[in-house]
Amino acid sequence: MNIIFCGVILFFIAFLCQIIIWKIHIPERQTKALVVLFFCILTIGLLSLVIISHFYTITNWPVPRTSSDYLHITLLFTSLTLAYMITYSAIEVDSPSLLIILKISDKGTQGLDRKELEETMNDALLIMPRITDLLTDKMAYLEGDQYKLTRKGKIVAKIFIIYRKILNTGKGG
Amino acid sequence: MFPSYLQLMIPIMSLAVNVVIQILRFRITPGRGLLKSVVEGFIGGLLYVLMIEIYIQRYLFPSPFPEFIFMTIANTIIYAACGYCYFHFINLGETARRIRVLRELYECDGALSMQEILQRYHAKEIVEKRLGRLLRNNQVMYRDGRYYTKKSVMMVIAHIIVVLKWILLGRKNVFCFIVITIFQL
Repeated sequence: MNIIFCGVILFFIAFLCQIIIWKIHIPERQTKALVVLFFCILTIGLLSLVIISHFYTITNWPVPRTSSDYLHITLLFTSLTLAYMITYSAIEVDSPSLLIILKISDKGTQGLDRKELEETMNDALLIMPRITDLLTDKMAYLEGDQYKLTRKGKIVAKIFIIYRKILNTGKGG
Repeated sequence: MFPSYLQLMIPIMSLAVNVVIQILRFRITPGRGLLKSVVEGFIGGLLYVLMIEIYIQRYLFPSPFPEFIFMTIANTIIYAACGYCYFHFINLGETARRIRVLRELYECDGALSMQEILQRYHAKEIVEKRLGRLLRNNQVMYRDGRYYTKKSVMMVIAHIIVVLKWILLGRKNVFCFIVITIFQL
């Protein structure tokens, strides 16, 4: 009980803090800001729980008692945070599939012509912003007019290349 | 002390079971589709969580029933969140534009200009692949040269994302969009 209660409450506190901060100012590197915010809340939360469980020994309180309880709360919080961060990336950047669905949906019973779709879904909308993201996230850098991978970019690319070799699939995209 | 540390390992072991089942299933029968292999891997891992929890409760370290239920729920939530992350990891490799550009840069073994990147990967290819996927998964239908939306999971996801965008990023016109799409559903 204490693991679910503390883990989920801490996660919602972090989520509420994010909404408040984002309403004031949206950070430039949103994913990095999310990681820092959520893990700060986790650290503060766990320290508060240590203090609460030390001073209040009421057995019915759903506070963690053992070190494994704290580890379990950390694991629950981290898994929820990772799942949320991945979902957040779909909020931050418009997915082409969602854009296509929304464009078709906007036309309602009229339907949407292929040509109309291709006119609006162009390189400037779909590809160029993602290349800029690679520069912002320091996975690539620009030398003259040439884009080159940084060490971080090479590692990420290698992980996906190896995994797709294991799965034996094509190029994707 | 030992049973509680053992409990910590259960979601991690279940994720490993999920990954192994998914990879084996996709390699053995790739024709059945990547998404199905992900679902089957997830179900396999979920069954593993439940079986191990019941086994520990029954034969190794019996605990009071409410504690057993709460521990099982906690581990199921952790496993489900990790399984969701794994699904997205596969999905990133399959559909993410940034990953595709990274791979193009890596595989050309050097540098590419914007023009060269766009020759290898462009919006037309993206629209082609995505529309193909949406049609195959029955999320969109094609009739008389035009595309129409259908009731689908993708439409529900689109709603959730639009609402979250409104909550977090304050994007406007969300209510008009919701009203229109609810009528379409």
